[in-house]
Amino acid sequence: MKSKYIIIALLALSSLAFGYSDSVVWSDNLVDNILGYDKEGSLHLGQYFTILQSTYFKPLFFGVLFGVPAIFLIHYLIIGPMIFSHDRKKIYVFTLFNRIVHAIAGIAFILIIPTGLIMMFATTFGGGEFVRICKDIHAISTLLFIVSIVPMFLMWLRPMLPSSDDIKWMMILGGYLNKRKDPVPAGRFNAGQKMWFWLATLGGFLMIGTGVAMYFQDFRLDILVSNSISQIDFLRASAIIHNVLGLAVLALFLTHIYMSVFAIKGAIHSMINGYKEEEEVEILHSSYYKELKEKGEA
Amino acid sequence: MANTWGYGAMTNSLGDIQNAKAIIIFGANPAVNHPVGFQHFLKAKERNNAKIIVIDPVFTKTAAKADHYCQVRPGTDIPFMYGMLHLIFKNGWHDEKFISDRVYGMEDVMEEAKKWNPKKVEDVTGVPADQLIQVTTLYARSTPGTLIWAMGLTQHSNGSSNTRLAPILQLALGNMGVEGGGTNILRGHDNVQGATDMACLSDTLPGYYGLSDGAWQYFASSWGVDYEWLSGRFKSKEWMGKKGFTLARWWAGVLDGKDGNDQIHNAGTNLKNLFVMGNGITSIAQQAKVKEGLDNLDMIVLCDPFVNEAAILTDKQDDVFILPAATQFETSGSVTATNRSVQWRNKVVEPMYESKTDHDIMFELAKRLGFYDEYTAGMKIKENKQDYTWPEDATDEIARIIKTIGLTGWTAKRIKSHNENWHMFDQISGRGYGKMKGEYYGLPWPAWTETHGGSPLLYNINRSVAEGGMGFRNRFGLEHDGQDLLAGAGSAPKGSVQKDGYPEITAVNIEEVLGIKLTADEKKRIGKNWKVDTSNIIAEKCMEQGIAPYGNAKARAKVWTFPDQIPMHREPLHSPRSDLAKEYPSFDDKENHFRVDTKYISKQTEQDWSKDFPINLVTGRLVNMNGAGMENRASKYLAALTPEMFCSINPDLAGKYGIRDGSMMWIHSPEGTKIKVKAKYSHSVPEDRIFMPFHFAGHFQGEDLSHKYPKGTKPYAIGESANTVTNYGYDIVTQIPETKGGLCRIEFA
Amino acid sequence: MSDIGNARLKFYCDEHRCISCDGCSVACAEAHELPANINRRKVVTMNEGIFGLEYSLSIACMHCTDAPCEQVCPTDCFYIREDGIVLHDKDKCIGCAYCLYACPFGAPQFPQDGAFSIKGVMDKCTMCAGGPEETNSDKERELYGQNRIAEGKVPVCAAMCSTKALLVGDSAEISDIYRERVLSIGHGAKTQPYGWSTAYGSKI
Ligand code: HEM
Ligand code: SF4
Ligand code: SF4
Ligand code: SF4
Repeated sequence: MKSKYIIIALLALSSLAFGYSDSVVWSDNLVDNILGYDKEGSLHLGQYFTILQSTYFKPLFFGVLFGVPAIFLIHYLIIGPMIFSHDRKKIYVFTLFNRIVHAIAGIAFILIIPTGLIMMFATTFGGGEFVRICKDIHAISTLLFIVSIVPMFLMWLRPMLPSSDDIKWMMILGGYLNKRKDPVPAGRFNAGQKMWFWLATLGGFLMIGTGVAMYFQDFRLDILVSNSISQIDFLRASAIIHNVLGLAVLALFLTHIYMSVFAIKGAIHSMINGYKEEEEVEILHSSYYKELKEKGEA
Repeated sequence: MANTWGYGAMTNSLGDIQNAKAIIIFGANPAVNHPVGFQHFLKAKERNNAKIIVIDPVFTKTAAKADHYCQVRPGTDIPFMYGMLHLIFKNGWHDEKFISDRVYGMEDVMEEAKKWNPKKVEDVTGVPADQLIQVTTLYARSTPGTLIWAMGLTQHSNGSSNTRLAPILQLALGNMGVEGGGTNILRGHDNVQGATDMACLSDTLPGYYGLSDGAWQYFASSWGVDYEWLSGRFKSKEWMGKKGFTLARWWAGVLDGKDGNDQIHNAGTNLKNLFVMGNGITSIAQQAKVKEGLDNLDMIVLCDPFVNEAAILTDKQDDVFILPAATQFETSGSVTATNRSVQWRNKVVEPMYESKTDHDIMFELAKRLGFYDEYTAGMKIKENKQDYTWPEDATDEIARIIKTIGLTGWTAKRIKSHNENWHMFDQISGRGYGKMKGEYYGLPWPAWTETHGGSPLLYNINRSVAEGGMGFRNRFGLEHDGQDLLAGAGSAPKGSVQKDGYPEITAVNIEEVLGIKLTADEKKRIGKNWKVDTSNIIAEKCMEQGIAPYGNAKARAKVWTFPDQIPMHREPLHSPRSDLAKEYPSFDDKENHFRVDTKYISKQTEQDWSKDFPINLVTGRLVNMNGAGMENRASKYLAALTPEMFCSINPDLAGKYGIRDGSMMWIHSPEGTKIKVKAKYSHSVPEDRIFMPFHFAGHFQGEDLSHKYPKGTKPYAIGESANTVTNYGYDIVTQIPETKGGLCRIEFA
Repeated sequence: MSDIGNARLKFYCDEHRCISCDGCSVACAEAHELPANINRRKVVTMNEGIFGLEYSLSIACMHCTDAPCEQVCPTDCFYIREDGIVLHDKDKCIGCAYCLYACPFGAPQFPQDGAFSIKGVMDKCTMCAGGPEETNSDKERELYGQNRIAEGKVPVCAAMCSTKALLVGDSAEISDIYRERVLSIGHGAKTQPYGWSTAYGSKI
């Protein structure tokens, strides 16, 4: 239901972009846009963007794209995956709705992230038609992302709220640095998952917002006008935020994949059929396990 | 102007403006209407440190480049100029010798100027007294100063007084006949000067010969047609000498005094057909009346490259013909620029599709109306040809006939050679180099003889006549009220046999004035006077003796044939100051003014207009358009600059009526008409007036007429015509409409 | 006279002369047959209607030294000619608009094509020098408009400028012209011309 309204809202926004024949980027507002570049008191976003984009973003993305998997490879080789007994009971943790929402999000990410990267490294791909198509896919799959991220936000909001366990979890880095099966302090979701959740949702909304701004480019927002922020500065800020957050999204996305596919053997099944191994819950989500025990559900 | 010193045209040239030390611009916006010419103003500023003073009710693009800007109330130019004269005379800044030698009737002006002290001027014009003192001091002390004007001065019920007082101001300061001085009126379109010279007017024959019987006789013989045949084409001989209708009020001729419209004097009949060639009649005042006129015609013919929106405006369904006319690029011929110089225009392409050139349309019409032979006879006379070559023979015919403004030198051959050698002329003075030596670019008229190089600077006595020098024209007799009208001692052009004033040259006085003896043969061939001397003997002899054929007289500040002998302030018919309208009432109503009875005082006093219509309405042009905007609005890129009709309104005024930037507003006129336009906030207009461009058509009183355009002809931009709400009011002499000073009422739409 | 070999072609708009007649922008649109919403050149007026403060400027790509647009383009589709003209390759461009964000003058523009306002590839002033396609080929004309530089002509906007406010040519020479104009006004030293240091650095 929510997503329908968002699509309607998006369409409304696009009509806004058509409604005004007067451009806010190139008409008389051009002046404000120009003045924003390097005049005293301006945000200097033009320069920042130029420096970031010309010298930092590409190497950083490159670093994250290959550095993060490299670290995990070392982890995998030295410490190896966690393997939990499949003999004990299975605990039903994700409803069908949970899983569908997650699946859509997953597809969205798998579409969005590589296409985003292709745009970032467009030169490598020769630019032109191929990258333009990727750009369109990037934009279209954002709709898919919106459809998933809103219900995800609502359905997991409660268990994702911070708790005291999170600090302890952080102190021992989730217990991933050794192979011992000590119970790790965590509720239904551990601090790592929470980070990913908040980045994917709140960060995701920001990604969507900044992405949509870059997509429509020439629209009129009264808040900008009343705060005398020029349209181009807004777009520049969008591009910077989109890229910086994109780095984080990429890093955590890679982590998420590593965790679910490699680090915890079979963890991915829970997102497919909804059941987790009891031992996995007992060790990795010890507080949650205790809770279930008390309720007599485990 | 013509009534002041002989000719009604720009006295100097655009290039010469660069020589000015001060430039005063009255009711003109050259930055918008003459963008290319405006570079001379900017260069004067750059090179000469010239100060630009702009006097305009609206802060224009020209004002943006000015050093001083005076925001006058519309229709108060005369008080402003008298205010300047007041200070000039009081401080003795006037040029006494110039006035006594070369001006008649200045005493009366001095007397009137005494009344206009700065405080009083401030009250009437709205320009602070300090500012008046400041600009007058600056202008009077920075000589030479040039004075520029355009429609902002002329389009008033007393516009003809405005255009007399401006020259008087220049005469008082001795700014006439000098480089960097002069009265430089800007013509609004390409070839307006040429069209005027060729009598696109209803009160004269070509070359300003007037409509006297003598003039008709001269033209009949010059055209090679029988005078009796010519007069037979009129209802009766008496109608040959009568002024016709004007562009401003032709519709009154159709409406024939019905339904309370003004009475006409048109030999007992009304106008039945209208033939329009290249005139955007949707940009003339009182569109509702224009529409009524169109609706009541039997037949309308419109020849234009684009659809003339008169066809859209009218409800008439039948007998409206739209003829496709060729553009300037599809024909050739001479065009006259604002500084009286001529250029040849070459054909670039043959007329496209089924379009025809203007002259072909006219020739075809003449054939069908049965006077083609008489129509074209004049072109064959010079070389006694069987057939004529267009347009060269037409140009040569003009050169052969028009002596009054000295077009004798304008033969097709010479004009073309100027174009081919345009790089051989100086850009500022127009002086030729190398093989063009001795000629000025475009042979600015008067070019008295076939070898005369043109006169770039009128009334300049520091040059010999052969080099373009001359005094003022002797046009108004030899004396008036016992005072000599000829120029004073020693004020003849350089190198003249006569050192003082002298009358215009005739066959009778030529020997005496020039101090020569004519041979018997010459005596036989010579024409009666310089204006009709087709033998050119008078002009040739004059050049040899350094004499200007038209004489050397005084300019007159006092025109005894006009309703106001010296210019007097009269409030516009619709004045926002009813108190001043009582103090400075308009003229008495004028009967049979270009065949129409025209209201002045009765209109002004009909009611207290300012009560119901408190806001001044000013119209003007946009840089991307001209006239009715037909061709400009049909251009994708030009239309994109101003895609909609708008009204510039001060945010404070708009706020009072709840009108937001970009919202629609109604504008109502005292005539009971209204238009709906988009409000555009602008600080260029103060709180008591609004500004609108007049280039739009296609909407009428809120109704969109899009459906009336023939398929595929609707321009990219259409909108309300500002002239639907311009007020009643016409100049007392020329009948130009009072579009620059009316009233209106606005409301949120 | 400057050294032709080292000439760097630049624009400069003299705000003392510009009367916002839009001759440049219309000439440009007409010459290159630009789509309706693209204005390679745009005239802007500041402080409209206020005496002493109103002035106008014609703005297009300034063909910057060290062009920021070139630095940020993810497809590296820009190239800077020896004479300083900054051009780009529309076949490579992906329309990401990064160049617009980097540009100090808002020069890059994007035709909106399609119902969902999908941006097309970037278009900007080419200094009338076409693009990477074969010189004066149909394709070059279609994508980039006229290549007047190759024909030895002046960019059409500057040629059309009614008051010669818009200057184009070797940077050293136009700064000389401008300096001459300023000095002849006799107001003494002027503040630095607007936009000059941003576009061209303070070297000149
Ligand atoms: C939460 C996930 C993301 C969302 C919702 C998202 C959304 C969007 C949207 C809607 C656009 C505008 C699309 C367009 O112009 O065609 C966009 C542009 C872009 N995104 Fe993302 N994006 C996400 C993640 C990423 C990531 C991880 C990267 C980096 C690897 C990335 C890189 C880019 C780039 C380079 C652009 C180009 C800017 C543009 O096209 O105007 N995005 N994004
Ligand atoms: S003005 Fe903008 S588009 Fe032009 S070279 Fe500079 S940064 Fe690039
Ligand atoms: S829009 Fe085109 S030219 Fe501009 S940065 Fe992106 S790919 Fe490069
Ligand atoms: S140089 Fe050419 S492309 Fe650039 S703005 Fe001028 S006319 Fe347009």
